[in-house]
Amino acid sequence: MPDPKMKFLVVDDFSTMRRIVRNLLKELGFVNVDEAEDGAIALQKLQAGDFDFVVSDWNMPNMDGLTLLQTIRATPNLKHLPVLMITAEAKKENIIAAAQAGASGYIVKPFTSATLSEKLQKIFEKMDKGA
Amino acid sequence: MARQLHDTLRELGYDKMISQTVEALPDAKDRLAYIANLTEQAACKVLNATDVANPLIDSLEVDAQGLASRWDRVYANQMGVDDFKQLAAETRAFLKDQLPQKTGGTKAQLMEIMMAQDFQDLTGQVIKRVVTLAQELESQLMGALIEVMPGERRTESVNSLLNGPVINAENSGDVVVDQQQVDDLLGSLGF
Repeated sequence: MPDPKMKFLVVDDFSTMRRIVRNLLKELGFVNVDEAEDGAIALQKLQAGDFDFVVSDWNMPNMDGLTLLQTIRATPNLKHLPVLMITAEAKKENIIAAAQAGASGYIVKPFTSATLSEKLQKIFEKMDKGA
Repeated sequence: MARQLHDTLRELGYDKMISQTVEALPDAKDRLAYIANLTEQAACKVLNATDVANPLIDSLEVDAQGLASRWDRVYANQMGVDDFKQLAAETRAFLKDQLPQKTGGTKAQLMEIMMAQDFQDLTGQVIKRVVTLAQELESQLMGALIEVMPGERRTESVNSLLNGPVINAENSGDVVVDQQQVDDLLGSLGF
């Protein structure tokens, strides 16, 4: 079972989407959630705080989600972090690019709470196996 | 070159069209900004309403569970007369006051959520006008482009990883339309 005190970072440039994801996480029992409005701010927060999980949009100003993911994977103290992409980008090459960059999961918007719950569960299972 | 383009456009009668377009675009921008504004407001109203309603429902659930477990003790003959009187009074207060107050509060938030949907009517009207404008622009620009652009360039599509939501999935074969297709694609690649 995942630790309910797990610290999430929700990265999206739209505040409504951040609120929705935060509420969905709360419903799933995760109340320790912080937000960032683009990849650059996300990286600062990740470096400063002890986060356990990143949920990121793709299309954002300053630094997009793919660059954030690539940067996380290339940073020794962050590269272990699970990164779940939640994005409206639905081209096959997007999905493949995210997978190759090391995304832990890919959810295409619009999405349901059931999808989020299922993908999180899958990632937790993989984390348990890896640990 | 600019001179040439200018003359060509004038010869073809496009100079008037372009000036109309330039006049129409700020209006379209304003309309789109209005839509973005209204939809954001609506989303905020709905999220605020759920933030207010959720704790009401949660507290009803907790209170009802608390009373129910004490009633279970009554039925198991585990409660004295004084406690029973206390339980009966609290249950009565719960049914008479707390319950209607909190369902009333929740209902008010549901109404708020319903009323927040009024943007649909307003944005719908504005969107229709912008769509009409876009159609006019498209047909005029297409006319101009077909005259000046070589045939093979016309079918080139823009290739990028930042495209935003898929508006019309039927027209392009390289996009997924739902989560199942995302999962299938990743599965087929061994991720």
